[in-house]
Amino acid sequence: MSSMVISRPAALSELGQATLRRLTREWFEFERRLAVVPILRRLDLGTFTREDYHRLLLNLRPQVIEGSRWISRCASSFDREHADVRSVVLGHAHAEHRDYEMLEADFVASGGALEAIRAQPRNPGSEALHAFLMFRAGEPNPVGLLGAMWIIEGLGEKMAASWAARVEELTGFDAGCTRFLRYHSGNDSSHMDKLYGLLDRVCISERAAADIVMTAAVVGRLYAMQLEEIDVNR
Amino acid sequence: MTAAHAFVTSTGAFLPGPPIDNSAIEEVLGCVEGKPSRLKTRILKSNGIQTRHYAIDRSQRTTHSNADMGAAAAQRCLDHSPLPVRSIGMLSCATTQGDMVVPGFGSMVQAKLGIPAVELLTAQGICSSSTMAIKAASNALRLGEHRSALVVVSELASRLLKSTRYEAAGGLAAMDFNSEFLRWMLSDGAGAWLLESAPRGRCLRVDWIRSFSHADAFPVCMGIGTPSDHGDTRTWQDFPTYSEAEAAGALLIRQDVRLLEQMVKLGVDGALRLIEEGVLDVRLVEHFLCHYSSHYFRGKIADLLQMCGAAIPEERWFTNLYTRGNTGAASILIMLDEFLREGRARVGERILCMVPESGRFNTAYMHFTVVEGNNA
Repeated sequence: MSSMVISRPAALSELGQATLRRLTREWFEFERRLAVVPILRRLDLGTFTREDYHRLLLNLRPQVIEGSRWISRCASSFDREHADVRSVVLGHAHAEHRDYEMLEADFVASGGALEAIRAQPRNPGSEALHAFLMFRAGEPNPVGLLGAMWIIEGLGEKMAASWAARVEELTGFDAGCTRFLRYHSGNDSSHMDKLYGLLDRVCISERAAADIVMTAAVVGRLYAMQLEEIDVNR
Repeated sequence: MTAAHAFVTSTGAFLPGPPIDNSAIEEVLGCVEGKPSRLKTRILKSNGIQTRHYAIDRSQRTTHSNADMGAAAAQRCLDHSPLPVRSIGMLSCATTQGDMVVPGFGSMVQAKLGIPAVELLTAQGICSSSTMAIKAASNALRLGEHRSALVVVSELASRLLKSTRYEAAGGLAAMDFNSEFLRWMLSDGAGAWLLESAPRGRCLRVDWIRSFSHADAFPVCMGIGTPSDHGDTRTWQDFPTYSEAEAAGALLIRQDVRLLEQMVKLGVDGALRLIEEGVLDVRLVEHFLCHYSSHYFRGKIADLLQMCGAAIPEERWFTNLYTRGNTGAASILIMLDEFLREGRARVGERILCMVPESGRFNTAYMHFTVVEGNNA
């Protein structure tokens, strides 16, 4: 039976290091895809509006709500040999399963109607992302989902570090309207330590490494699609 | 010998006038509307530069042209080599802005140096234009087309930074952090490297030069040519007159500071690409010369590099940015010149140079090995 606590390793194995390098490249690839997403390009160029912010929240909410579902399912798919991994994932599910309430409150605080955001369906990108994550989460010992956490948690930090203040600057909304975007700041190092610990624990074969990197690549592409869909009229 | 090589056999640098410390910058560049900058201290603290040189005097009159500085650096480079200037096969130059709009900067440098019938190249861009010029020179030698190539890179940014430029563009009322940022960052200077197809004394073998540009994905981060009004899509030559372009701020040099963190990430991205390709092994790099302050690579990104086995220990970093200033494209040439003059490079050691350009995100890498030639 493995130890019940996963913590930051002193150093990663050769395979762990190589996988972390590939994950970092996948993160940069994700960022370059985000940079050409129309609504985020407007954020960079300074033409982002209050309506853009509402559209962003409307389109993020379905995925945020589904997020707690795939993480919970993922936790239950780890067997007893992976009880330590399961503990970390469960803790993660618990920490995030009511994030959407903050997002809804931001929408209302910035002048949106609660009924409107609650009635917003998934866009095609959210649908594809959700379906992929739920499918992977149902597989036995879904270690590849570490790649999904890498992308989604990284994005949470990016929202806090790079989007929130910019949204406030361009829309005139105050920090009371951007609590969801800011939510993932402040615990950067512990969050990275957790990811390093999980990587050290589950990335123990070339197959696991390839699975983790591929899952990160797919999640990054589908997440970008979810944000691109904001500007698709239907 | 199977493949043709290129070797850096001599280097030279030229920095105009005396070193100017932080308290004297505005005495040279001038105070906009007679008032000292309120952002200066903050920006200088973040870039860490202590002294720099300017090719303008305290009345903002130009003391050296850009081509003068380039020729002076080239002369110092050639003074250290027995190679006669008339035998140079290729002259490969780069600058952000020549003295003239056209012809190319290289033509003006050639005229100053008096090299006859040389093959000429002028690379245009910002910081990484230097690596383009170096790579073109190296490739010409490796193709066997020439036996020697002189690379000359010079920058005269201060002419863009003098107070009258900002006053003409609306003065203090029109200035913001992005338009003022580079005023406290950039300064003047030139560097030159002589490349030859055979080693000469203790010299550097060019192992490889690579770069990755990301203009397809990211907006302009540093540039000159667009007006202060974001809604106006004209560039400077679209205005009826140049004076109208200047009044609209289209001739100011600007940095979109918010996008700068992307440069650090893309710098790492390129290194990881080269590691993955098997081209770069950072464990074998003894000296790392980076045209970017190391403190931008601290914190989370440093920890990540450490964890993934791609970090270069701080004691292997060399820079002279803090004492010679940020001379744009010329920086990496001036940096290598000073590094080699300190005599710390031993035979067999590997040197990695990195030039991340924020313009529209181009990151370049050059890898050298110190060798001992026998025909010194």
